[in-house]
Amino acid sequence: MELRNLQQYQDELWLCARCGDCSLADKIVASHRDVYHPCAVKNVLGFEAYASRGRIMIMNDLLDGALEVNQDVVDWLYTCTTCKSCQEACMATAEGIRLPEMVEALRRDVVAAGFDVPRHREIEESIVAEGNPYRELASKRLELFGDRDWPEQAEVVYFVGCTSAYREKEIAQTTVELLDKIGVDYTVLQDERCCGSVLLRLGHTEHFDELTRHNIEAIERTGAKTVVTACAGCYRTWKIDMPREGHKYKFEVLHITEYLDRLVQEGRVAFESPEPIVVTYHDPCHLGRHAEVYEAPRRVLQAVRSLELVEMRTNRRYAHCCGSGGGVKSTYGQLANQVAANRLEEAEETGATTLVTACPFCHRGLTDGAKYAGKEIDIVDLPTFVLPYLVEREKAVGVEGENPLKERFMEYLRAHPKIFDGLKRGAVIDYDIDGDRFHVLVTGKSAIEVQPVRAENPDVELLFSRGAVERLIQNESEDDYAAEFGRLFKEPTDEEWIKFNLRLNIVKLLMKGYRKFAQKAGLI
Amino acid sequence: MRIVTSSKGHPLYEELVSIVGADRVTDSPVILSAYSKDASHLTAERPGIVVLPQSVEEVQAIVRLCASTKTALVTAGGRNGICGACLPRVRDAVMLDMVKMDGLVRLDEDVMTVTVEAGLRWAELIHMLDERGYKLGFRGPYGGSAGTVGGSVSSNSIGYAASKFGPANEGVVSLQVVLANGEVLRTGTGWNPNASLFGRYSAYNDLTGLFLGDYGTLGVKTKVTLKIYPRAEHLAYGDFGFKTLEDATAAFLEIQKRGLTEELNLLADRQSTDTFFPGFLDSHPEIKAMFAAIVQEDDEELARRKMEIVREIALRHGGKDLGNFASQMHWGEMFNLVQPLFNNGFWLNTCHLRPIPSIPTVMKRLWVIFKKYKMPKNGIKWIASCLGSERAYTTGWFTIFSPTREKMDEALKIWNEMLDAIMETGGCPYWSGRLWENRVLARTDPVFLATYRTLKRALDPDNILNPHVFEGV
Ligand SMILES: Cc1cc2nc3c(=O)[nH]c(=O)nc-3n(C[C@H](O)[C@H](O)[C@H](O)COP(=O)(O)OP(=O)(O)OC[C@H]3O[C@@H](n4cnc5c(N)ncnc54)[C@H](O)[C@@H]3O)c2cc1C
Ligand code: SF4
Ligand code: SF4
Repeated sequence: MELRNLQQYQDELWLCARCGDCSLADKIVASHRDVYHPCAVKNVLGFEAYASRGRIMIMNDLLDGALEVNQDVVDWLYTCTTCKSCQEACMATAEGIRLPEMVEALRRDVVAAGFDVPRHREIEESIVAEGNPYRELASKRLELFGDRDWPEQAEVVYFVGCTSAYREKEIAQTTVELLDKIGVDYTVLQDERCCGSVLLRLGHTEHFDELTRHNIEAIERTGAKTVVTACAGCYRTWKIDMPREGHKYKFEVLHITEYLDRLVQEGRVAFESPEPIVVTYHDPCHLGRHAEVYEAPRRVLQAVRSLELVEMRTNRRYAHCCGSGGGVKSTYGQLANQVAANRLEEAEETGATTLVTACPFCHRGLTDGAKYAGKEIDIVDLPTFVLPYLVEREKAVGVEGENPLKERFMEYLRAHPKIFDGLKRGAVIDYDIDGDRFHVLVTGKSAIEVQPVRAENPDVELLFSRGAVERLIQNESEDDYAAEFGRLFKEPTDEEWIKFNLRLNIVKLLMKGYRKFAQKAGLI
Repeated sequence: MRIVTSSKGHPLYEELVSIVGADRVTDSPVILSAYSKDASHLTAERPGIVVLPQSVEEVQAIVRLCASTKTALVTAGGRNGICGACLPRVRDAVMLDMVKMDGLVRLDEDVMTVTVEAGLRWAELIHMLDERGYKLGFRGPYGGSAGTVGGSVSSNSIGYAASKFGPANEGVVSLQVVLANGEVLRTGTGWNPNASLFGRYSAYNDLTGLFLGDYGTLGVKTKVTLKIYPRAEHLAYGDFGFKTLEDATAAFLEIQKRGLTEELNLLADRQSTDTFFPGFLDSHPEIKAMFAAIVQEDDEELARRKMEIVREIALRHGGKDLGNFASQMHWGEMFNLVQPLFNNGFWLNTCHLRPIPSIPTVMKRLWVIFKKYKMPKNGIKWIASCLGSERAYTTGWFTIFSPTREKMDEALKIWNEMLDAIMETGGCPYWSGRLWENRVLARTDPVFLATYRTLKRALDPDNILNPHVFEGV
């Protein structure tokens, strides 16, 4: 059988040296990364075949003819949630071995060859007929909002998504209520259709383009400049998959957590809990690893007065998946439930009373997992969670006053962009002074943006003592700054020191120009 | 939970299911494919069935079943070895995938030992100990995120902190081993049921040593007791460059002899540094070889002073202080150093031990080979790295990377020539497996081999445990 799509990854498959990090690694202490047994599916099913290392061996066997595609292969293939956790843990290439893409490529091959899971065919038919995978009527898509006239034109479009529209209605309803209360000029599409995410994930790609064209045109007709969605799956499809499949659009797409974060930063929105509350946050894979939005939801939560956010053992880039993605929930419900139950155990370990997530699919998966395993932690989606805490706009105070040293350091770096010469556009460095964060984004030659918040996905984290910052910002020239930086790094004292955490692997760092940066700072 | 169904064709399928339950046994060819290789290119037979035991009792029952049916039993740890050691040499073998036996059994603070199940990975053990205020001596092979304690001590692994503590086996106090007849042996002070596991040498000869480095041929290790140390917070780092490999080697030897460092890692030529960290030596064109030194102590002054001495030694041998970025990265990126090199291609390893003074000798032989094949212009890069080990010997981690499948034939030729050169210059492999076995056997003293075989026959008369290892491939 021809594996045309998978074959395209043959060179990359070669680079997997079977180190097993994607399966068994615990990097929490040894290299200060929150990697812990990355594959949530393998953690349930036990055998190596379910982690990336094993999957790659099977794929190589399929390509070499040592294995033939049969029903067992198909069954195995649809156990991957395509959560990308293995790829984040993998250091073999700059991006990590792209196992989720390989899985989707092989799915396209097996579907093309007529191998199929009947449930998947039904999903595809439902999307074609009714614009949603749940075999619900298209005409009922907006029923959950009651009798309401939606404007034809608006600044913002709220893209509801099928799961929120038909299954996790509370998320859509509270999102709408939140937008109403905040006073956003927005609308929803009269004839929104599935974003196509599920088709891509399952390997049934035939109708993706047509759905995408329909949705883009519908949004363009509203004149909206911004599309907001509360579904991590839709968000990833809009942000990552559509451009990758060649679709272009001019409006900006934001996840609701990014949108709320923006409003919080602008001082337009504030939240307050009447009682102290401890919550933990589950990163949806589509929002986190696939689209690199980690901090915005956390900032929104932290903007709720009296709220304490505690992290799970695995979080952000290395967060375990909820088990529902990649078609696993529709194909193997019990497996999805057990993966979710394991994630809930991590949440419970934090001592939080509430687990907040930001995806209807995760919310559903985790809620079902809680029922399956008898877990009691509250599971709430972010818009639903913050809605009751919304306080009047007058009470909104915006971002709290900044640490003056942080302000001065940011100002200094803004005035000395040449410090970052040599770094490629897109390089991101996170700065930490006593736990207070900001980041620098390189936007071009001698051009940077300095943002007062922690970076979503930094390349490197630099940690400074206050004394080191005081000393650094006295240097007039970039060269003196670099020399001072090198000295503080090499000869630290108790008061004046700099430390670093690499957040990307060295291959990627070198590609981004960190060699020059380190040379200039006299580190190498 | 099961998704892919077993074929149920393996003769022991039903019995194994009755021991561990159907969810932890499989003979599906799809699932077995994921057990067909370790982290090397070497191949052997695929296991006929894989079992995931969770307790010593289950291991005993499986071993007894294999003994009664004379079925080959191969134990696999993290399958992260690089010499094909965990791959069966015969068809239809039962493979034990030990990774579910990964608990911390006992931390004995009075005698400073930790007992763990054999399938626990090094990095995870470090995490567990760190939370409790302790560190290990030897801290695991560089692949210790997935490499297990049981696998490493069965294959003479060497790696992190070997400079001070020597290879994996040096840290072992006691083993729990399931013998080929299914009985359980406890070594070290474990011969006395009333004693804790505090010492290795007591009353009898060192039975622990018998099973260390046995590649699973003499028993299945189910528990390993290791020495532990108080967590030491104070680190000092130093990178030193040299104009000649000879100078670097002399300084390296002196530092190692004086036992100053936790970790001491030499990159033997510019290409090696460039493979590892492109551009690191750009500002130092005169430097040919360099090493990264790491000192770790529980006293800050002591750490600082030791690094000062390291520096003095390095400078006395003509060394140049290169700062400490490489050594900080080396230590801070523990268990992450090798994987980024896979970007250069699939690796072919030649890991071995040798006396430190012989580093320049072997490198001269290797440079001739590299030149002959026009490396790295031919697309095949190398890294030559030497890790100081307790007292005065070193590892030779001389590895080449085949960038594509197409280049593999050429890479294999180079690799074979390297293996010969290494043996001829007095190298001794630490792990053997399919990688070194024929070359090792060709040189092994017959009395040595006969003694091993006598022991093997005595302990495993039906030859069920990892059969045909040490017989040639
Ligand atoms: C990125 C990377 C870096 C590496 N760096 C190093 C390094 O620095 N130093 C080094 O020495 N190696 C290194 N290796 C190789 C590997 O890490 C070590 O050999 C490791 O010790 C293998 O452990 P394992 O659990 O994976 O053993 P496996 O490969 O699974 O097995 C090794 C041998 O031990 C036997 N065995 C396993 N478990 C048991 C048991 N419980 N009872 C009896 N026998 C058993 C097997 O049958 C086999 O013969 C590296 C590998 C990788 C991928
Ligand atoms: S996919 Fe990456 S992490 Fe996993 S075994 Fe291969 S090289 Fe290692
Ligand atoms: S994408 Fe997720 S589920 Fe799939 S192999 Fe990787 S870690 Fe496992």
